[in-house]
This record gives sequence, structure tokens and C-alpha cells, in this order.
Amino acid sequence: MTTSLESIRTLLMRDHDIVPERLTPEATLDDLGIDSLGVMELLWNLEDELGITLPTDKVPELHSLGEVAVHIDALIAEQRADTIATRVS
Amino acid sequence: MRQVAISGIGLVSPLGDDIDEVFAAARDGRSAIHRLDIPFSERLVAPLAATSRFDATAHFDKMQQRMLDRFSLFAVHAANNALSDSNAALANLAPERGGVFIGTGMGGTLSMDEGYRTLYAEASDRIKPFTVLMGMHNAAAAWIGMAHALRGPSMTYSTACSSAAVAIGEAWRRVAHGELDVALAGGSEAPLSLGSLKAWEALRTLATIDEEEPSASCRPFSKERSGMVLGEGAAILVLEPLERAIARGARVHGEILGYGLSNDVTHITRPSVAGQAAAIRAALESAELPPEAIDAINAHGTGTEANDATETAAVKDVFGERAGDIPISATKALHGHLLGAAGALECVLALQAMRHAVALPTMHLREPDPACDLDYVPNEARVGVAARVTLSNSFAFGGTNAVLALGAVY
Repeated sequence: MTTSLESIRTLLMRDHDIVPERLTPEATLDDLGIDSLGVMELLWNLEDELGITLPTDKVPELHSLGEVAVHIDALIAEQRADTIATRVS
Repeated sequence: MRQVAISGIGLVSPLGDDIDEVFAAARDGRSAIHRLDIPFSERLVAPLAATSRFDATAHFDKMQQRMLDRFSLFAVHAANNALSDSNAALANLAPERGGVFIGTGMGGTLSMDEGYRTLYAEASDRIKPFTVLMGMHNAAAAWIGMAHALRGPSMTYSTACSSAAVAIGEAWRRVAHGELDVALAGGSEAPLSLGSLKAWEALRTLATIDEEEPSASCRPFSKERSGMVLGEGAAILVLEPLERAIARGARVHGEILGYGLSNDVTHITRPSVAGQAAAIRAALESAELPPEAIDAINAHGTGTEANDATETAAVKDVFGERAGDIPISATKALHGHLLGAAGALECVLALQAMRHAVALPTMHLREPDPACDLDYVPNEARVGVAARVTLSNSFAFGGTNAVLALGAVY
């Protein structure tokens, strides 16, 4: 399990009252009743939660919670690498 | 032209949400104006307001609570209640024959205020992602339309303090002319943010606090009046052809007989006698009634120096010698000034007053301003006033005057 999946699950339980059993990596946002605005809000909260900055240009199409987590994890890794690179230079 | 009935009423108001409770408070002169005790109230010169006891958590899920500004929550809840009161006005309605008409002066100003606080006071760029959706003036109408699948016009009117009267009047026209079969019409306002209160204060329109009796701080037509007190709430009406309402067995609260509009064109804030009188005459013409047919008036009556004297002069201009015989009620002394929702709440009170054959009191009127020398029903309700037609006046900064002519149903 990745770090961000746990944060995603926590936020969805808090903000949408979804029971934890439904919040599997395979569960789709559609099935959980999270629309595009719900996704936007989730990503905004994840920025705070995980200390990352999402690119403002576009939100990729994300269907399942697992896909959201992979996307966020990639951003975390990228932004940590950037920070390290900045420190080194 | 079809006769138009008011067949449902929904309220969120400082005097309560139940129509009988609200009417009883207005009749008995129980003021909802109070000293504001919230974190920023020490920054206000006169911390006064008329607040609603509305509890969003009792009526809306978490997502709605985060996506709707308080003014939209008020409006949606009031619209739901109006429909519950209507005995299923939307049953057998073609969706495109139903519309939504909402007035609001300041829209989602609380959400905008919160956003600005994040940006400027907290020097953070983390403004919430729904701020635009919550702040936009048309959000309330949009949410009501979605909740009830009304596919006809979804309209928002923002003409400051006459917004709700304009919304009701414009809805009435469409129902009367046969363009719509049901309209949800009214106004909503939730203006009690620090930014908004300070802005009204800076304009020197707000009342000073009565230290002994804060609830008596707003005194329309009184020599001692010092200004208005802001209030929050919503009032939504169900409008439909009278024939349809009767056929459905709905309880009819009254009729809208006509609606008059005028524009002052003189000054952005100072009201004009000619402008207000023109709106009253336009309402009479629209209702095809002579001045003699008017039995009572629900005044705009803000308790500001400029409004009350001007409104008195406008009533005299239209009704001449008879002006002094018409009972005039200014209920803002009790529920405060709901800005873009004021005209709808006052329309409801005017209808209830006719239903109960009561002239509602203008409270805290110990000594009238010599320039205000009509019958304002001072301090005590008058019973046995069998009014058949009442005017509800709404005037506004910007100059859009709107007057509704309301008919009783016995």
C-alpha cells in the first residue's frame, strides 16, 4: 500500500462519509459518487495533506482510487527529486 | 392574462422558519434584532444584526454544506419548504413549464469574504476550490432548479434591496402571460460577514445600538431613527395560475394582482419621491386598480433618514388626501433588512396580515419624524383590518423601485 492511498481513503471517509470497506484500490470514483468537482476537492486536500503542489494545467483522467494514488505517488517522487536536485546544486 | 396564486411559502428568517411563528412574532412585535456576539463583532461600531437560527447540518449532506454558500442553503431549504407547503405543485408539470426566479443583493458574499481572508489576512494562496461556485449570485437559483428538475428559465435578479420583489414580479409576469405554469420565486441573502458589515457601516446607513434595548435599535419612521440593521434569510413562493392551484386543492395564500417598476435616475443612493411614486402607480396600473382599492401598505421602511421621509412623500403623492387613512407597516424593525430577500419576506408578511385581518405594527415608534405623518400602525397590531389589496414596497440603492400588488383570498 502506498502512502497516498491511505490519505485518499482518510479524506473520502471524512468528506463523503464512505465506509472504509468500499475504499479499495479498484473502487472507481464514479461508483463512489465522486464527480469531477469532488475529485478537484480531493486533490486540493491532498496538496495540503502531503505537502505537494499539483500542476495547474490539467487533471489527468483518473478512474479508480488506485490510479489516483499512483498519480499522486509519482508527483511526490518527482517533487522530492526536484527538492534534492535544488539542494545539490 | 391569467390570475396568479401564491400556493406555497417557504421561509428561513430571523423571526423563525415556520410561517405561523413568523407571523405571530411580527404581529406581537417580537424583534429578532440583537447584539452580535461573534469573533469580529468588537470591530463593529454597532454590532447588531437579525440572524437566523438555521442549522445547515439538519438539512444538507456534507458535500452540499461545503459546496453551497449560506445564501444558497437558505434558498434551497426555503424552496423545498415552499414546495412541501404547496401540496405537490410540481406533480404533472412539464419540466420546461417550471422556472426559478431568485433575488439576491450580495450573493455568496460570505464565501468571497472567507476567500479574501485566506489570501490577504492569512497571506495564503490556499483559496478553496469551490469559492467561485459558492460566490456566484446565480448559484441559489441553479441549485433549486437542479433539485426539482425545473427546465424553464433559471433567473437571478440583483437590484440591491428590491431584488426579491423584482424576482417575484418577473415570475408573476411569465405565469400570468401563460409562459410558465409554476414558478419558484423569492429572494435570499446571507450578508453578515465582517467585510460586508464594515462596508455598510462605512456608508453610514447602519443603526446605532440602543444600549438599553438592542432589539429596538431599528426604528422606521421615528424621529429617533438612526439607520437600518442587516438581517439574513430567504423567502420563496410557489406561483401558479389560480385555476390550477384550486383544481389541485392547494391552500392559496393570496394572489399577485400586479407589479410596478421604475428607475429613480437621480442618485445612486438617495431615493426619489417621483421614482417611488411612479413604481406605486405602475403597480396600480398593472393590477388595473384605482388608488382607492388599496387597503394597506407594507412599507420599504428601512429606518434610514432618507428612505422613510421619501417613502412617506411618495405615498402622499399617489394617494393624496387618502394617504393618512391607509395603514402602513414597516416590519424591518423586527426582522432587519434582508436586502435582496427583503421584498419576499415582506410580501409573505403582507399576505399573512390580510389572511388574519391584521395590520402589522411598526415597532419602536415612540415619536414620529414630523416628515413622516401617516398612519404607521405604531407599536401595536390592529385587528379587524379586513384588507383585500395590500401593496408591498421595495426600493433600492441604484434606483430600481419595485411594488407588488397583493390580493387576499378569503
